[in-house]
Amino acid sequence: MSLGLLNRLSGRVCGAGVLLIVMGLVSVSPAAGPLRLPPVERVQLKNGLVVLIQASHRLPLVDFRLVVRAGSVDDPQGKEGLANLTADLLTQGAGTRDAQQFAEAVAFLGGELSASASREQVVVSCEVLRKDFVAGLELFRDCVVKPTFAPEEFRRKQGETLGAIESQKDDPSAVADLELPPLLMGSHPLAHPVIGLTKSVSGLTCDDVVSFYRAHVTPDQAILAVVGDVDRDAVIPALEAAFSDWKPAKQAAAATYAALEDSSRKVLVVNRPDLTQSQIRFAGPGVSRNHPDYYAITVANTILGAGFTSRLMNEIRVVRGLTYGISSRFSMYRNAGTFTVNTFTRNESLRECIDAVTAVIRQLVDEGPTDQELEKAKRYLTGQFPLRLQSPDDLAERIADIEFYGLDRDFLANYCDRIDAVTMADVRRVLRERCQVDKFRILVVSQSSQVMKSLEGLGPVESKELE
Amino acid sequence: MVAFLGGNRMSGAAHDQLRHRRAAESRPFATRITAAVTHAALCLAALPAVSFTLSGNAAAQSDSAAKKTVPNDAVALDPSTLRVERHVLPNGLTVLLHEDRSIPAVTLWQWYKVGSRNEHPGITGVSHYFEHMMFNGSAKVPPKEYDRILESNGGYSNAFTDRDMTAYYEDISSDRLDVLLELDSDRMAALSLLPEQLKSEIGVVKEERRLSVDNSIPGLLDEQLYSVAFDASPYQWPVIGWMGDLERMQRQDLVDYFRTYYAPNNCILVLTGDFDSRQALEKIQAHFGPIPAQAPPAPPVNSEAEQRGERRAEVHYPAQNVSFVIGYKAPSASSPDAPVLDVLASILSDGESSRLHRSLVYEQQIALSVSASFSERIDPGLFEFYIELKPGQASQAGEKSLDDVLEKMRREGPSDRELQKAKNQLAAGFIRGLKTNNGVGQQLGYHEHVFGDYREIFHKLDKYRSVTSADCQRAAKQYFDNAKRTVVTLVPEETAR
Repeated sequence: MSLGLLNRLSGRVCGAGVLLIVMGLVSVSPAAGPLRLPPVERVQLKNGLVVLIQASHRLPLVDFRLVVRAGSVDDPQGKEGLANLTADLLTQGAGTRDAQQFAEAVAFLGGELSASASREQVVVSCEVLRKDFVAGLELFRDCVVKPTFAPEEFRRKQGETLGAIESQKDDPSAVADLELPPLLMGSHPLAHPVIGLTKSVSGLTCDDVVSFYRAHVTPDQAILAVVGDVDRDAVIPALEAAFSDWKPAKQAAAATYAALEDSSRKVLVVNRPDLTQSQIRFAGPGVSRNHPDYYAITVANTILGAGFTSRLMNEIRVVRGLTYGISSRFSMYRNAGTFTVNTFTRNESLRECIDAVTAVIRQLVDEGPTDQELEKAKRYLTGQFPLRLQSPDDLAERIADIEFYGLDRDFLANYCDRIDAVTMADVRRVLRERCQVDKFRILVVSQSSQVMKSLEGLGPVESKELE
Repeated sequence: MVAFLGGNRMSGAAHDQLRHRRAAESRPFATRITAAVTHAALCLAALPAVSFTLSGNAAAQSDSAAKKTVPNDAVALDPSTLRVERHVLPNGLTVLLHEDRSIPAVTLWQWYKVGSRNEHPGITGVSHYFEHMMFNGSAKVPPKEYDRILESNGGYSNAFTDRDMTAYYEDISSDRLDVLLELDSDRMAALSLLPEQLKSEIGVVKEERRLSVDNSIPGLLDEQLYSVAFDASPYQWPVIGWMGDLERMQRQDLVDYFRTYYAPNNCILVLTGDFDSRQALEKIQAHFGPIPAQAPPAPPVNSEAEQRGERRAEVHYPAQNVSFVIGYKAPSASSPDAPVLDVLASILSDGESSRLHRSLVYEQQIALSVSASFSERIDPGLFEFYIELKPGQASQAGEKSLDDVLEKMRREGPSDRELQKAKNQLAAGFIRGLKTNNGVGQQLGYHEHVFGDYREIFHKLDKYRSVTSADCQRAAKQYFDNAKRTVVTLVPEETAR
């Protein structure tokens, strides 16, 4: 493909033929100005806390983001949901303020302060206006270092959590997302829902929460990102002062866990007799976040199931009109990962949809993408990349995750070059390795009585009631 | 959780499990722009203590310079800090330009002044269906090519339809602006509406309806609320349309729609980000200027009469918990009371220290979630409450608690501190809405459309600033009138297995 010629043509776009040629311009280094990100300064406080500071003054906002190396993977067996409940309680009373006083103080600043758990992280994030740096830091520090864990707040949050678990059952998509990890991973630490199970959450005690907090929420197991309209020289002394009472743990660091084993085909139908639309998931093992194939997998997945021109979107939505949305993704954790395809269709077209998804994946693996598709995916990824680097909260998340997963410190600066360096051979290889569709497990949330027969021949099928 | 926004394009792929997002943003398959996001982003306010500048280049500016130029206590949302150029082309296309060189990218928004309020029974949902068809082929761009060209150039596009508007946006690196102008002027000039694409796309729309209404409790309640609350307002029918109308829609309905509403004089184009305004305006003129204006469309008819008594409806559906939605008749966006109702909504449900959260979730512990919102609309709309109760709680208890909170507001109004807190929250929320090129473009386009002038952003700030406790009390008395409300309750049903 002669890029030089196409470049000249692109100056004056004036018809369909030329428009199509514009596509040929992909992949060479972006002609737009370079992305200029403020530098990230990395310092370690006296108590071991790693701090990342990135000053950016476009808006008068400051974001604090603390990432703790603990999550639902650290929930003891039988205490599923403990990391989540612990995170929830961090903001329910801290320092000298009870839960309502704490919420009132945050709201009066027009600030946002929240704490949550995911599979591998407990995250506390706080965003305030620049003028409220000191007040915001105090509130943020209090919920990290001085949470009260009052028994009445524990009971209230426990009750809310149990209510939320019930509530999720009313959302078919949420049911599918909760049922899928156990179908793929069995009793692996990544499998159970972060929010926990009715039985396990009912049995949790306030002492469990305090123990989890003491073991995990410590400066030597945490990363703090401070991004936005800050004065770098003033930030570090302010942080040293704020966190001086926060002591490192005596326990060992977070436990590790095994990679996923290879899967074999199973089909599970979760019965929801009221549904006229079936939720569908495919799942198989993926890779960990620091896998050397990260870039090739990202490109391959874009071709298969990300964006509006992916193979799956084209065939299932655009050509067949079977769904409103379909996507594939690799979820990558520290030591393991998953691959999933998400979609939904009316009950009558369930089997057609499953067969069509299967055929799309198989064909892409067997034949590989076209050169044009490869270039399109790279350009799409590199073109979209800067857009998520505009907000201080997005930046805080990005730089904290680089530290969390131990990635290249220049990940953001090098991302586009690394994507551009992915070859066709890389993409074909990772597709063959990671997208063995015949082994994928399939989950369906639907009216069992209406759809069971249509699933014959896909492999061993089981059905269950929603618990 | 309030008004249904029929989004064309969903964002399953963007749902990143490694990330933490607040609940409103975390639903997989949510359309890119959800009702919740829009409401939050469109609530504007400013406060004496807030200042900001949208400085051109974040990386180049030093700390000390920033500190000197923007004193901490300055009042600052005005045309000097949010610089906008406004032009109207000879064919009536309104163009807003805002330069920001922070990242090498641009966002192009197009706001068409058409939504489900411009429909009539029999073709409900046509605006939203039409939005889908805008990605399905035009004179120079065959079907599928819109997205392929866009993504091949590193761009992303999405759109949403609401009762008052249909809005489209694209994000792309700044050297590819021409691609957007070429694609979007072509579809404004000559959309194809080919039979084969119409056929497959209606299937997509029906699946969207099944996802977001027919198999969704919030969707079912919201649809009932509007259809029961209104007798003769065009807000009576759902944005996504009744399933029967989707089955019935003919190509000619869309052809007529295109001619009437997709004219340059019925559109606002907003460009934000890294570009030179003079050059960009020339390019916009070159691409969109030749498209002829059309006769302005007839305004929609709204014959809604005063409501004379509470209305109630039930939705029977399998569910774990009881939830209910209440809509009080509310004024239009242009009403002087609109900013007061924004402040009231904030006092009632913004954050865990808000009155409703404190009463129903924290003290009585009968609800899982509460929300109050005022939707600014061109025609008079609703002030809505959505409450999901905890397992085992009955709707009567929830309604009683809500009534008590509203009665106290009618009786006493908010405290000075509550009022100040709400203003602070609205002000900070406004700053958050400007984090991205996309957010700035959304604010500008929305206000230019709904208020006829983007500078309403600046006026509104003054209006928020002047809201008093007495205003809140008066508005609570006037609008939280049970004779003018509609209550829709979810009645959980057991299904035979």
